[in-house]
Amino acid sequence: MHVPDGFISPALSLPAYAACAPLWAWGARRHLGRDAVESLPVVGTLTALAFVIQTIMIPVPGGTSTHLVGVMLLALLYHPLLAFLCESLVLLVQALFFGAGGVTVLGVNALAMGLLGPLAGWLAWRALRRFSEPAGLFAAGWVSMQVATLAVVGALALQHRLDPGYLPTPPAVLLTAMMVPSLTVAGVVEGLYTVFALSLVRKARFRGVEG
Amino acid sequence: MASRAEPRAGRRLLAAWLAGVFAVSALRDARALAAVALLALLLFRRGASRTLRRTARAVLPVSAGLSLASLVFLRVTGGAWPPAEPYLALCLRAAVIGFATFSVLDRVDLLRSLAPSPTLTRLLVVTLAQIHALRLVATESRDGLRSRLPRRPGALDLTRNAGAITAVLFTLAARNARDISDAMRARGF
Repeated sequence: MHVPDGFISPALSLPAYAACAPLWAWGARRHLGRDAVESLPVVGTLTALAFVIQTIMIPVPGGTSTHLVGVMLLALLYHPLLAFLCESLVLLVQALFFGAGGVTVLGVNALAMGLLGPLAGWLAWRALRRFSEPAGLFAAGWVSMQVATLAVVGALALQHRLDPGYLPTPPAVLLTAMMVPSLTVAGVVEGLYTVFALSLVRKARFRGVEG
Repeated sequence: MASRAEPRAGRRLLAAWLAGVFAVSALRDARALAAVALLALLLFRRGASRTLRRTARAVLPVSAGLSLASLVFLRVTGGAWPPAEPYLALCLRAAVIGFATFSVLDRVDLLRSLAPSPTLTRLLVVTLAQIHALRLVATESRDGLRSRLPRRPGALDLTRNAGAITAVLFTLAARNARDISDAMRARGF
């Protein structure tokens, strides 16, 4: 679901960094500032948790596999903006220490996977939880996956529109290649995972879903 | 493992890499990208074959797969093969950035290079240490699931197990965060 390095030109990647910068600055001031002794370890461990959740592979029909994202959980347990900060750090660690993802597209990926997806999922959960909590949690996981994938497709389609010679892949191919697995498999898996994980986290008497 | 650059040299290499990958990400001409690829091979010739294999595994499946899908789609819908050069440029661009990234990260001790930013260093140290600790628990849980089931675990088994292990990891992460916080306070932070 990541945008890989080399698919987005600086005409888009730099504005994405600019959009992320105030949110990162807010997050750093709030979570890594004066009270860092309390909050820095929390951000570090939650980032590690999100990273480890993303290494859990789920086999899907057809011989391939998908991986969980888990950022939605952080958004539900804490706040979407803390989830954004943690996902940005996950992307940074993946790019710098494990050579995965990319540093030029970090802003685009952080906005898509760390902000837009979890924020949409969080709003879906807020809207649905009064009718059914499990349905709200499933919707949160499913919606966050669809919105994040759609945002990635949107960024790539915008790059294609700006300069087809730079990214010649037509939007129809991007949409099919990314949205079909997301709608049929990855979203359902993420939704089920969100329901299972949240119910067990609550049973473990960890901090509950407070919004 | 390649020898690691001194912190100051490492910082210079990181800055050059960062500027370089953004510059390469602006290129769209296949010939210019081929020239940059040759230059990168020349600059990072030590361990180049291993890095090339890693790049081929990590980068090329996505760019080459999408390019092939696009070519076939345009052939079927348009009736003619589209020009291949933009696709070649896309694959080259992704490969050059991947190769430069893997080469530089092999040559730099990131934590020592980031030392001038103590907050970022502390955050990365905590994160990396916790990744190793939590990964062990996750791996053990996955192995435990495999040994308990008489058949190969399916998608639902693994998803349910992931939910269970997440609760354990959350509890562990919260306890570890408290321990780290206490340790930092004891050291005068």
